[in-house]
Amino acid sequence: MPESTDQRAADQPQDEQQQSPDAPLTDQPQAVQATSRQPDQRTVQQTVEQTAGEQVRHGQPNAEEEPRIGVYVCNCGGNIGDVVRCEQVAATLGKLPNVVAAHSDLSMCSDQGQKLITDDIAEKGVNRVVIGACSIFLHEQTFRDTLQRAGLNPYLYEHIGLREQDSWVHHDCSTEATEKAIRMMSAGISKARSMRPLEPVRLPAKKHALVIGGGVAGLRSALSIARLGIKATLVEKSHFLGGRVARLSHVFPTGEDAHTLLHDLIEQVLSEPNITVYTGAEVVGSIGYVGNFKVRIRQRPRGVTPDLASAQAAIDACPVEVPDEFNYGLSQRKAIYKPYDGCYPSDPVIDWEHCTKCGKCVEVAGDAIELDDTPTEFDLDVGAVVMATGFRPYEPFPGEMGYGEITEVITLPQLERLLAEDGPTQGKLVWNGHPVRTVAMIHCVGSRQIEGVHRRQPDGRVNDYCSRVCCTATLSAAERIHQLLPDVRIYDVFEDIRTYGRGHEDYYARAGGNGVTFLRYYREQIPAVDRDDGDGERPVLVRVRDHLTWGDRIELAVDLVVLAVGMMPSPIDDLIDIFHVSPGNDRFLLEVHPKLRPVETASTGIVLAGTAQGPMNIQESCAAAEAAAAKIAVLLGSGRVELEPFVAAVDGDRCQGSGECVKVCPQDGALALETVEVDGVTRTIAVVTAANCNGCGVCVGACPNRAINVQGWRLDTYEAMLDAIVAEIPALEGCSP
Amino acid sequence: MVDTATAESAAKTNGSGRLEVDALVVGGGIAGMQASLDLADQGFKVALVERKPSIGGKMIGLSKVFPTLDCCSCITTPKMAAVAHHEQIELLTYSEVQSVERDGDQFSAQVLRKPRYVREEDCTGCRACELVCPLDVPDLENEFGRTAHRVIRVPFSTAVPQKALIDIEHCIFCGKCLTACARDAIDFKQQPTTITIEARTMVLATGFEVTPLDAKAEYGAGNLRNVIDGLMMERLLAPTGPYGRVLRPSDGKLPDSIAYVQCAGSRDETLGVPYCSRVCCMYAIKQAMLLAGALPLADITIYYMDIRTFGKGYEQFYQNAKAMGIEFVKGKVARITEDENQNPIVRLEVIDDRSRIIERTHDLVVLSVGMLPGHDSTETFGVPADTDGFIKLRDTNASPAATTREGFFATGTAAGPMDIVDTIVTAGAAAAEAAAYLRNGNALAAEAVAARQERSVAHA
Repeated sequence: MPESTDQRAADQPQDEQQQSPDAPLTDQPQAVQATSRQPDQRTVQQTVEQTAGEQVRHGQPNAEEEPRIGVYVCNCGGNIGDVVRCEQVAATLGKLPNVVAAHSDLSMCSDQGQKLITDDIAEKGVNRVVIGACSIFLHEQTFRDTLQRAGLNPYLYEHIGLREQDSWVHHDCSTEATEKAIRMMSAGISKARSMRPLEPVRLPAKKHALVIGGGVAGLRSALSIARLGIKATLVEKSHFLGGRVARLSHVFPTGEDAHTLLHDLIEQVLSEPNITVYTGAEVVGSIGYVGNFKVRIRQRPRGVTPDLASAQAAIDACPVEVPDEFNYGLSQRKAIYKPYDGCYPSDPVIDWEHCTKCGKCVEVAGDAIELDDTPTEFDLDVGAVVMATGFRPYEPFPGEMGYGEITEVITLPQLERLLAEDGPTQGKLVWNGHPVRTVAMIHCVGSRQIEGVHRRQPDGRVNDYCSRVCCTATLSAAERIHQLLPDVRIYDVFEDIRTYGRGHEDYYARAGGNGVTFLRYYREQIPAVDRDDGDGERPVLVRVRDHLTWGDRIELAVDLVVLAVGMMPSPIDDLIDIFHVSPGNDRFLLEVHPKLRPVETASTGIVLAGTAQGPMNIQESCAAAEAAAAKIAVLLGSGRVELEPFVAAVDGDRCQGSGECVKVCPQDGALALETVEVDGVTRTIAVVTAANCNGCGVCVGACPNRAINVQGWRLDTYEAMLDAIVAEIPALEGCSP
Repeated sequence: MVDTATAESAAKTNGSGRLEVDALVVGGGIAGMQASLDLADQGFKVALVERKPSIGGKMIGLSKVFPTLDCCSCITTPKMAAVAHHEQIELLTYSEVQSVERDGDQFSAQVLRKPRYVREEDCTGCRACELVCPLDVPDLENEFGRTAHRVIRVPFSTAVPQKALIDIEHCIFCGKCLTACARDAIDFKQQPTTITIEARTMVLATGFEVTPLDAKAEYGAGNLRNVIDGLMMERLLAPTGPYGRVLRPSDGKLPDSIAYVQCAGSRDETLGVPYCSRVCCMYAIKQAMLLAGALPLADITIYYMDIRTFGKGYEQFYQNAKAMGIEFVKGKVARITEDENQNPIVRLEVIDDRSRIIERTHDLVVLSVGMLPGHDSTETFGVPADTDGFIKLRDTNASPAATTREGFFATGTAAGPMDIVDTIVTAGAAAAEAAAYLRNGNALAAEAVAARQERSVAHA
């Protein structure tokens, strides 16, 4: 008797799973295979019992059960029904062989729509279901649950995307769209005739989540995950926790001190026994799947041990000076440094990119400093991953609104550093050696850009999105300036003021009261910033055509221009490849659906938290991080996961052991040749490890004996569907609905 | 004879009149449903209490939802079904929490179950009663009185649960429904009952109300027939709406010229609402786009102060609307009157080239009304509200779902205006915080916050 996919998993000896943490990544497929067969053999065995028989005979019709197909055509609240004549589709399909029920309904996903299905299952003996509706991504799970509730195997259901693939793309040709709907659904009915029950691949899951990013979103999600009973490991690429929030002085809408907010969160994270934190650590590889990822971490040494007594002396001894990125380049720091007092971890760190290993610090600090920058690597076994990789502020092009060319043009994050008490000017608004008496703050720099007006980013796109936080952040900074220096004159140059959130509008209202002058520029006439070459007292001239004074051209002579730069995602192309997640058109990571699954990605087990997904303020980042934690608790809380059963399966009778499938398989550890004994005869056949197979089907085309198929999508299924698509259908009347 | 409402409550409480759960979620709109699902999926036992006869909240009455333009039912109804069928969720509709007392580690909530005059456990939602009922009354609850419903009816076609109820004030007790009901579910003698729900944590998802149409005298104080609000337009645009197309109220004419008045109830000190309601820009733009599809020849204008399309994909949505030919005019509408044909006249100062006062006549004006608190949380729950009337948060930034009363969490518009996307995220956040509280208690967090507030000044 040939083996099934899962039996292979069950038969593996358990001791293989012992893998040292620093085994090279190339060995990892083996390790993951091992984890997949780790503790719960019983579950895997059960799966085998339920599916083995099916797999042996796959390709043959199921003789015991005559298909009784229920067909349902969803109007989709007009999305489909306004174009496709759904009742006509249902009536036409109702005449096809094996179809015992055919309905159209305003909304099949509603409770009443679902009841049509469960009633037909109970009353008409429907045992296969075909639904023409929205996208499979929206409601496949909804309808699987419906079938399951009615006692039917959830995989005896075929979803036809009548909305995206028909009504939305053919909205002006009703008759043709109706005909197409009939053909698409006929194909689904043909598929349904050969469907058989499938069982998901059930595997034990690690109750352990990896959080990537130690900013406020990462800290918040790690904390929430741990408090929901799941172990959390947080890795932060830089050597210090806190991310962008650490560089703020005060945060809206509460006005609280940013470091206090952050340190409270960090203290809670550190006192949580279920959380491990690695700084200076980044993800360099990952294999596996939801419930069982093996993630490779590379950690750079700090170069400094906790024994370092005179940290400041070591820093002072360092001869290297480089721009301090913590202060957005406003000051210099040494190659051994700490970003600010009170940072976590509190020890300084060596910046290996700039350290010349001259040894001056060692002369001061002795053994407490080790000038060895060899990174260490280790693996983490986790069930899910939180992407809390954050944002970077938009960096204006050289010369964009004078940035980089006029010293007095800075960005809002730089202003925040100037206003911070631990910043380069100790919180004083002094710039280029002289005090600042007039400031112009310009909104939407790097946000809401217009094709043809703004210069493109290196990837050829403009930032056409709103960055959401800059309006209130700008007004919050303006208020701070006013509090510190009531005599400073502030001009606010904007297109729309978007103080949308709770308490945000108050900043706008108070700004008016504080004497901030607002000028509204026309969308396509962005303000110009130039050096004032005249004999004016102020170094910079901002020219703006102001909507609020009926288009007057106004010149503002100012000491300082602050560009309210927008948000761009952190550069994480490597992580995008490693975890197979997708960025959207705005380059931020894409969720499955903003309302149905707002923190999940299309890669099951990879969830989003905070500004990796799009611009958000601190409150919104924390809410998203908590929502991500809730999702992880649901995903991993039971200690097991279910994977789709659409994986390759080998027909042991037909397989000749040619090995062609093994050669073409792109998934590590999914296919292998094995020697088995069947009825006393020793043969070599291909064996699938279900957990590692992603059902791509490459093996199906390679097999010379048609011995391998993807469960649920066999070759004969495709043939039957094609026949149905090209079959004769009754002529339709050419009229609009 | 056993009181039937009691019998039905008894079924929910195993005859004790008490229901013990981990979490009590108040409000069955999108926030409450999502929070319930996120808690129940973690294995916690949840009671969801909704004061209306069906869950679904405001959202189920909408047409399509931004920015994806999904049909609203496609998002809401599956969640409604999931709530109704979830083994860990006990759903109590047409019920109101009247008071909550702390009892050690437990909260004890008194929940009033209003009589449907139809036994929920017997009704199958077949609507035979509705067919025979001889009396129609205006459907104020769902359709702003633009259509009628029978005195006995299932609330609306996608209601959950699909159970009939009787509008007893209008019932003439003709008994036709009694005869028509095959399950003998009608019971005119049903009385209100009260049950006790014991819970260890509570999630408030009590939602919002919109600015009343008559709030602003300058905008006709609700007396102009062709001035409607955004929620009414949602019904006109919805496939399940009263006419199946967009008709103006006074004469049923297809409007050729439709105007939106933004900030009609928000950012308006004269109404005591200084805050931005956050959703009105996007819903106006969305409706304008849907109208452009439904009435391709109509002129659509949006009068605004600032366009606040701040969410993911929203700015692009706004620019698409402009490209579709929807007119955006910057200016705060000062007054709305009407001409002899009941066409609304909008008066405002436009400042595009020179300042001038203009008056423009439209067929239909939609007020982009704002969000007001839906429920007084202080009175019922002892959960203080902030100055804006929405529930006050204890630690806005770091713990955005915790209220100032221990064990109580808030989600969605109960804690301030927000759109559906943000609501669903905060529902997850509330579920995470409530679940953490159920596991650990939140004494730790409360201490930390108190300590932080002390240090906030001293630091740095």
